[in-house]
Amino acid sequence: MGAEQAWLLPAVPAGFFILLALFGRYLPRQGDVLGVLAIGTSFVLFFFVLADYLGIGEGTDTVLKSWAWSDIGDFSLRFGIAVDPITIVMLGVVTSVALMVNIFSIGYMKGEARYYWFFAVLQLFAASMLLLVLADNLLLVYVSWELVGVCSFLLIGFYWEKRSATEAAKKAFITTRIGDVGLLIGIILLWREAGTFNIQEIIHAAENGEFSSTYLTVSMLFVFLGAMGKSAQFPFHVWLPDAMEGPTPVSALIHAATMVVAGVYLVARLLPVYEVADHTMIVITLVGLITAVLTGFMAFAQTDIKKVLAYSTVGQLGFMFIALGSGEPAAAMFHLMTHAFFKALLFLGSGSVILATHHNQDMEKMGGLWKKLPVTGTTFLIGSAALAGVVPLAGFWSKDEILNAANTEWGAWALVLTAAAAVMTAFYTTRLFIRTFMGTPRDRHVYDHTEEPGWVMGGPLVFLAFLAVVSGFLVFSGVGSALGFPGGVTEFVYLHHPHEYSINWGLAALSLGISGAGIAIGAWMYWGNSLARSTKLADSYPAAYRLLVNKFYFDEAYQWGIDRVVLGFSYIVSWFDRNVVNNTGVDGSGEATVYGGFVLKFLQTGRLPNYAMGIALGVVGLAFAGIMVRG
Amino acid sequence: MELTALVFLPAAAAILVLLLPARQEHLAKYVALAGSVAALALSLWLFFSFDVDQGGYQFTERREWVDLGAFNLQYFLGVDGLSMPLVVLTTFLTTASVLVSFSVTHRQRLYYALLLVLATSVLGVFTALDFMLFFLFWELELFPMYLLISIWGSGRKEYSATKFVLYTIAGSAFMLVGILTLAFSASTFDIQVLGQSSFQDTVLPLSWVFLFLFIGFAVKLPMVPVHTWLPDAHSDAPTAVSVMLAGVLLKMGGYGIIRMCVTILPGEAGDLSAWMAGAGAVSVLYGAFVTLRQTDVKRLIAYSSVSHMGLVLLGVAALGNTGMVGATYQMVAHGLITGLLFVCVGLMYERTHTREIARLGGLARQMPLIATGLVFAAFGSLGLPALAGFIAEVMVFIGSFEEFEWAALMAISGAVLSAGYMLWMLQRVVFGPVRPEWNGLTDQRHWWEHSVVLMLAALIILLGLYPPLLTDVINPAIDSIVLRVGA
Repeated sequence: MGAEQAWLLPAVPAGFFILLALFGRYLPRQGDVLGVLAIGTSFVLFFFVLADYLGIGEGTDTVLKSWAWSDIGDFSLRFGIAVDPITIVMLGVVTSVALMVNIFSIGYMKGEARYYWFFAVLQLFAASMLLLVLADNLLLVYVSWELVGVCSFLLIGFYWEKRSATEAAKKAFITTRIGDVGLLIGIILLWREAGTFNIQEIIHAAENGEFSSTYLTVSMLFVFLGAMGKSAQFPFHVWLPDAMEGPTPVSALIHAATMVVAGVYLVARLLPVYEVADHTMIVITLVGLITAVLTGFMAFAQTDIKKVLAYSTVGQLGFMFIALGSGEPAAAMFHLMTHAFFKALLFLGSGSVILATHHNQDMEKMGGLWKKLPVTGTTFLIGSAALAGVVPLAGFWSKDEILNAANTEWGAWALVLTAAAAVMTAFYTTRLFIRTFMGTPRDRHVYDHTEEPGWVMGGPLVFLAFLAVVSGFLVFSGVGSALGFPGGVTEFVYLHHPHEYSINWGLAALSLGISGAGIAIGAWMYWGNSLARSTKLADSYPAAYRLLVNKFYFDEAYQWGIDRVVLGFSYIVSWFDRNVVNNTGVDGSGEATVYGGFVLKFLQTGRLPNYAMGIALGVVGLAFAGIMVRG
Repeated sequence: MELTALVFLPAAAAILVLLLPARQEHLAKYVALAGSVAALALSLWLFFSFDVDQGGYQFTERREWVDLGAFNLQYFLGVDGLSMPLVVLTTFLTTASVLVSFSVTHRQRLYYALLLVLATSVLGVFTALDFMLFFLFWELELFPMYLLISIWGSGRKEYSATKFVLYTIAGSAFMLVGILTLAFSASTFDIQVLGQSSFQDTVLPLSWVFLFLFIGFAVKLPMVPVHTWLPDAHSDAPTAVSVMLAGVLLKMGGYGIIRMCVTILPGEAGDLSAWMAGAGAVSVLYGAFVTLRQTDVKRLIAYSSVSHMGLVLLGVAALGNTGMVGATYQMVAHGLITGLLFVCVGLMYERTHTREIARLGGLARQMPLIATGLVFAAFGSLGLPALAGFIAEVMVFIGSFEEFEWAALMAISGAVLSAGYMLWMLQRVVFGPVRPEWNGLTDQRHWWEHSVVLMLAALIILLGLYPPLLTDVINPAIDSIVLRVGA
């Protein structure tokens, strides 16, 4: 089994999806073990692909395999896979996190209705996501892109009896679909000039200058719309916090570690094209910066443990786009990887807290849980520290790379904004941890009934905590060499442009200062059990506080747009359709005919003189007309 | 002989049904089922023995019919890659329609006989290669439809049935003028010969002839603004008739535009293609915006059909290979997907006796199978990849993008609206809080209902995953049309 057989990675879960969807409910334990088995197989296969790929050695950047699917005229649908370093990183992230989430779900979802269906859709998701990162052409990317979207819809709306869950599912699908339409337009635009959907060929075409400059910029910005939708970047960020309506393992897998990074993945994959498309890099950077800063603010005022993490995810995705816009895909992919581990850890940890406190998500009712939840608490602390960028955990190294990239490419202003977003990250992470685990219990009842879930949930937490600690070290060439890819993970990803990781001491110090400052402010404000300082702050700036609590009124603005503009226009069209087209045009012509018949029937008098008169008038009229025409 | 057998098999079954004694009325459905399954089997046999490497018409049969002196009417049948998929679609959906009708109790013999006659007339339209024969089959379809809607329908059924008939006849009047003009200038009704002849302006300018034919087909498609018969006919028709109407009758319009307008008068098609593309794109968006405001499930699906059939027109207007194959694929995909939507909605209506979206909700609890079918079909309808509609939509987008960028962009943005109305409908009908008033209802009762949902869903997946099954058949036929358009 080598890299050429990488198509097996999605194929195995796809097969188990069919099995579980059709027969899951009749299987022992509703087939949950089969779900773990399926994704576990993909996880094992990943190592074969990795070993084979590394064994091929230098110079081979991609392993390709493709089959004709359908050919119609000049339009060719192909089913093909490509394995390159970016894909390898994604395969590793997706299979490992998906495996942990599957195991965790056995504990978390225990006793839920539609248990088998949950595991079935997880398999479909894994299959689609793996296909997405393996696809060698943009049309296949689009196919899997939509399929992961539908899995997201089904899982956000898993508790479909709740109106809020179905609202959130609908919102997620429609918001991302706006981006998807852009993506499809972009793909078609690229295809029209390059004559192919194949990613490698499009990159070559772009590098050889086969596109005109404006055309390429426009096409790539359309593609970027798709990435913005999927990765919940400003102004499409609104769907992700609502997506927390889904079961928490889903939030960990789909809405933190994998699906939402599809946009980052796509831009990283197409970065050689973006680099030659004018003005696109600055757009990517700005979108990332705005998102990172904006969501940092939004996370301040949230009291729902999952919502804080959701805003944090959007912000971290923003960091990845900053790295991409700064021309450092390696830094983006590195942060994508470390973030996947520690954010999945945090989400699963919050799931553990939620289950332990009997479905309580409100931090105001928590506090002091550290004593009750030693495993969850410890692993959560590791995850928080990694997110806040505490040295030497994974998040420190990858965030440092991004600060470096922003500084090198755009200079001080980008560095300052990125650093500000990083301070905010450290701050709200500290707040999250303190309000949940430290201090004294704020709700006695909740506290008394809290108990640590079993090891089926604890195990994945420990494994992910381990990765959150060590995955950052992959950046060092020593560690990389020991594992088979010399130069460390960033050079491995950045195959085409040699890039060696070197510590910029000034930035490293800044980076340390950033997390230190954020944590210090957070601790100063929330340590102990008192909200006195933060309440005072909120009271001093009531307008600003209201703005934060209401998330800058984005949802309200969009709702207004949908109600007034879209539905308003649709009201006008329907009114026109009913009253003008149908009632006047169609029914009106019918009524006119009936009325015309009614009037004309009076000509039918049955009296001979009337008819003779008619004939005479007709003859005279015709004769007159004839004379006039002949002139 | 195969095609004659296929076309008249349903009619023969209809006669058998009518001959049943009154005491045996309950057997009517089984006779109808046997007849439709036999037709399905025969059409599948034809489909798989169809030679995809050979362009042109196959299984042809030709007899002199009426001698008109200068030229003759012929009884001339045949299928090519364009009509073959539509023939199978028709027999398949006829079987599905018979199955969903099993709960009909009112005047069963007449009901099934009319349903089968309807199938014969549609099969005749898709296989006739003599323009006058085509027209006869085209008109024959009105008679069973009128009775089916006005006897077994609901609501303002007489109004809707009359409107349907008058609308189609008004279109047919134009079409007949077009047919006669063409026939007299070429001295034949033979569609094969007409499709190879070149014409000059005669009594009427050729562009008028094109438009006259086009109006007849556009009403059927239906194209905005001649579409308002469709929501009325759908909302008042019984389930099986809605399935046939959306599934196959609308396709007669798309088929006619490709087979007659474009193939016989390619020059005029080229001159007017921008107008067709515009009309297609407007239908897509106009239909989608009106769909957003619908409160009746059946009207919602009906208006979504206007939107989706606009894509057929857009694909044809591009006059290229990709676009027209896409348009044909879309006809099949839309037939199956919308067929399934109407089946599921019809089964729900039989149980809840309401189609008001506001009164429904949470039905996934009481009717998991129907709800799953509806969710599946809705995603098919909004163009989810791996289902049949996606392949068709992408081909239409790509095919039209090269010729009419603006129209393609309009149509693509309709994808957001289709997600909007379909998901809104799902949220209100199958999801949301469970309503106690529907407790006690169940969908775990009848094998025929399950089998209809499953067979439609299976075919939608098959055509989504393995497009060559159809494209290999469609492609050669479209190739020869494109060749003629290009010449």
